[in-house]
Amino acid sequence: MESSVKNKALTPGKVLTNIVLVLLAVFFIFPLYWIVTGSFKDRIAVNASPPVWFPTEPTLDNYIRLLENPALRWLGNTVFMAVVAMGLTCITAAMAGYVLAKKRFPGRTLIFSIMICAMALPKQVILIPLLKEMSFLHLHDSLWAVIFPTVGWPFGIFLMKQFSETIPGEMIEAARIDGAGEVRTFTDVVLPMVTPGIGALAIFTFINSWNDYFLQLIMLNSSENLTISLGIAKIQAEMSNDFGLIMAGAALAAIPIIAVFLAFQKYFTQGIAMGAVKG
Amino acid sequence: MKKQLSMLLAAGMAVSLLAGCGGTPSGTGSDSTATADTGASTAATGDATAITLWTYPIGSFGDSATVDSLIAKFNETHPEISVTVEYLDYTNGDDQVTAAIEAGTTPDIIMEGPERLVSNWGAKGKMLPLNDLWTDEAVADISATSENVVSACQWTDGNYYEYPLCMTTHTMAINKEMFEAAGALQYINEDGTWTTENFEKALQALKDSGVTTTAIVYCGGQGGDQGTRALVNNLYSGQFTNADHTAYTADSDANKKALQQLVDWANEGLITYDAAAQASDELQLFANGNVAMTLCWNASNQANYAESVTFTAMPVAFPSDDGVPELCGGIWGFGLFDNGDDAKAAASKEFIKFLCDDAQQGPESVRLTGFFPVRSSFGDVYAGTEDEARMAQFASFMQYLGDYYNVAPGWAEQRTAWWNMLQQIFSGVSVDDATATYQQSCTDAINGAA
Amino acid sequence: MASKTKAAAAGGETLTYNQGTFRNSALVRQQTLAAYLFLLPALIFFVLFVVVPMVMCLVTSFLDYRMGKPLTFVGFAQYIKMFQDPVFLKALQNTFILVIVAVPAVTAFSLWVGSVVYKMSSFKRSFYRCVFYLPVVTGTVAVAVVWKWMFNKYTGLINYVLNATGIIHENISWLGDARFALGCITLILFTTSIGQPIVLYIAALGNVDPSLIDAAEVDGASNLQVFWHIKWPQIMPTTLYILVITTINTFQCYALIQLLTSGGPNHATDTIMYYIYYQAFKLNDYGYGNAMGVVLAIIIAILSAIQFKFAGSSD
Repeated sequence: MESSVKNKALTPGKVLTNIVLVLLAVFFIFPLYWIVTGSFKDRIAVNASPPVWFPTEPTLDNYIRLLENPALRWLGNTVFMAVVAMGLTCITAAMAGYVLAKKRFPGRTLIFSIMICAMALPKQVILIPLLKEMSFLHLHDSLWAVIFPTVGWPFGIFLMKQFSETIPGEMIEAARIDGAGEVRTFTDVVLPMVTPGIGALAIFTFINSWNDYFLQLIMLNSSENLTISLGIAKIQAEMSNDFGLIMAGAALAAIPIIAVFLAFQKYFTQGIAMGAVKG
Repeated sequence: MKKQLSMLLAAGMAVSLLAGCGGTPSGTGSDSTATADTGASTAATGDATAITLWTYPIGSFGDSATVDSLIAKFNETHPEISVTVEYLDYTNGDDQVTAAIEAGTTPDIIMEGPERLVSNWGAKGKMLPLNDLWTDEAVADISATSENVVSACQWTDGNYYEYPLCMTTHTMAINKEMFEAAGALQYINEDGTWTTENFEKALQALKDSGVTTTAIVYCGGQGGDQGTRALVNNLYSGQFTNADHTAYTADSDANKKALQQLVDWANEGLITYDAAAQASDELQLFANGNVAMTLCWNASNQANYAESVTFTAMPVAFPSDDGVPELCGGIWGFGLFDNGDDAKAAASKEFIKFLCDDAQQGPESVRLTGFFPVRSSFGDVYAGTEDEARMAQFASFMQYLGDYYNVAPGWAEQRTAWWNMLQQIFSGVSVDDATATYQQSCTDAINGAA
Repeated sequence: MASKTKAAAAGGETLTYNQGTFRNSALVRQQTLAAYLFLLPALIFFVLFVVVPMVMCLVTSFLDYRMGKPLTFVGFAQYIKMFQDPVFLKALQNTFILVIVAVPAVTAFSLWVGSVVYKMSSFKRSFYRCVFYLPVVTGTVAVAVVWKWMFNKYTGLINYVLNATGIIHENISWLGDARFALGCITLILFTTSIGQPIVLYIAALGNVDPSLIDAAEVDGASNLQVFWHIKWPQIMPTTLYILVITTINTFQCYALIQLLTSGGPNHATDTIMYYIYYQAFKLNDYGYGNAMGVVLAIIIAILSAIQFKFAGSSD
């Protein structure tokens, strides 16, 4: 593929396309660049006009002040929340997606229709009833109050159903003829087939859970239970124009998740693409 | 059968996970959740009561080191009461309190002002009456400072829902060096008051001397909106509400004249407006020396910005046509959420009494807020401290304390309507139309609340 | 593929089940039991934390449900009130503007990037994929705070650059000016929305059968003809999926508004989602907020159905 591109002559149109693409890439990278460099600027450099494009005298002061807040604790909470939500979602969605795609049983259509309808529902609308429920379950102000609604969201089931559709029915049948039970069919035949989907769902859930700012805001209030998104929002509220400090918080929130994304992006892009394209 | 068993097992695990978490919220749960159920037993045993306090950032009450030392002092005399603190901010704090009210996880004590404690949560039946804290002595002592404070803490049902600690008047501040350089300082009286006429002359002088941004009428949200309210009300001596706080009066002739005046000044380039800025943004610009004055000043703000300000920030009153300003007051104190636990309520009241009434701790608590005591018997709490001179300049404005109208019904709706109205008039909507819209929103809100 | 997606969305019959497994009713019962046991963990979470609150939301939309007030049944009163509420109507209008601008823009733009990038070397391909995905992973709050800083009237980068290049001569309050605020929000929303569509298009275009393209090129078809007659029909399911997801996400745009403009200036950036939040959390009028939520859900459902219908008929 590469060689065929190289073989073709560079037309003005192609050059223009590439220039536009590079400019757009700069535009998309820039906010992150501005966060990271901003977090190393002192008060004067942050507010300077003309702007300081690169901090020539980088300072760690913003990070030191950030760590006066329990920022690492917030980070730990966020990781815990996102990882547990991810794990539970993958397990439950893989099981449910498989049977919705491959088994026929009474109520199947009804259940799936309700799930599709629920996906159209704005999540924020159910927050107040959800609050009441969490309070009833004594879960308000615990990370579980953020994790469970994330797991309950039917998108994962929808995605895993799409994946499971691609499993050839003969393979399942063959496993059954070999005497495999339901559980073994699932673990030995189905799971390997939908692994890319699980990979995609895992990263997807991780990112969504990490970023679901409003659910976190409503469900958590003790400073020891805050997540990093809430932490930055809190710092922004208290120190409205201390951009250096705010950027340090934003960097702390963004860098881990970007690292996760870069490390697993292959699975993610593979998985998400397969799911949607094959669906 | 085996496969079904194992599936049952798998499903059972998921269920037990749920149930397990439900049973042990303390795994990651908070103190407020964990202690909510134990009230009855502590009431019986009488020892070790755990209470929670939520504070908004009022002076040093937003700072955990300070508050921790304060609790340590309290525990010297009350070792049986443990206090856990959470710090709210003004952007998300109200949402968190709302969520806590709906979830039944409200703290025992909350620190804020009457517009929240009394006319919002108190009016909605979420607070405990504090009538027993308001002894005759307290009423007399606080009345001696201002009758307004007493009435602000009392709801129309006769109950007190706030026990106040401190108060202030909100003023403006100017960049003194900038005013001097522009020759504009002459328009301000010795005592920090000025007339509307002189205010305009000062703006003109600043503009002529090349100051690009003289003053910003910020209206990007409700933060610090007392500044814009005071500016509008004072210019031509308007009132924000009627005398018995049952209706808003933005459409009075005086207020409409003032609003028109602001638009005219903005058109002449004498002032600017910013519909994306709130007071915090404007304050930062003031502290950076980018704008000649701020509409949102008080003793606490001055203390906060002391480090970063490289010029003299001089507090001044809001300009008024007669030169006699009526300044907005701020009153802060404590309220108790009605959590149905007598032991905790009693312990909480002990803590409040310690903070507000104790002969030594009371004045110290007031100093932590950076404001002035509501109790006249405390006298000058800053006498003999390094803050004495600084606080004295703010103390002189206390005589201009105006009506505390923040307890009028429909207050929350009004606040949004107010900054929206300012945004409207600066974007070209006529003052008549904009005030009419505002009045309509307020009327709807008042009728809805009734 | 397209028909499969369509049917799936309608909850239709897309089964590849084997008739042989339904020999007798005992087996059917066993199958049903097994299916439900597999579904159970997901159903527990779904029912408890989505369906139950959803039903509560629907029920309370017919109640006068305000903090500190007794619950009373008011029938459709709040639905009627909504369509007489100028702020709601303005928010509805803004939301539709946002959807009408952002959804086609996101789809067209990601299709363009996808079709340019999918032919590139695998290194370049993953590079661009990551670049355009960055704003998604950076997180709404972090993205919002950095844009707020860049849009700042006095110390923001954008005013500086525009001043320096002579495009403007006076600082603009981007988020505070009714002419620009919604545009700024749309721009930010755009940058946070196109990551996933680009990933999808790159993959979908890569899956188009190359022999079909070769055959068409041999027949002398132009690039445009190849795209329109060969690629476009094959990536239709992807397009459909992108349209639906982007529409839903745009309708639910809320955090950006709360963090950047609070719906101002003069309601220029009020969206339904933000107004629901305002009613519920600032004014504690939950019943009214829930009624608006129900209306929003209905709108989204209708639009999604139309999109499926449209995509289905164009096959």
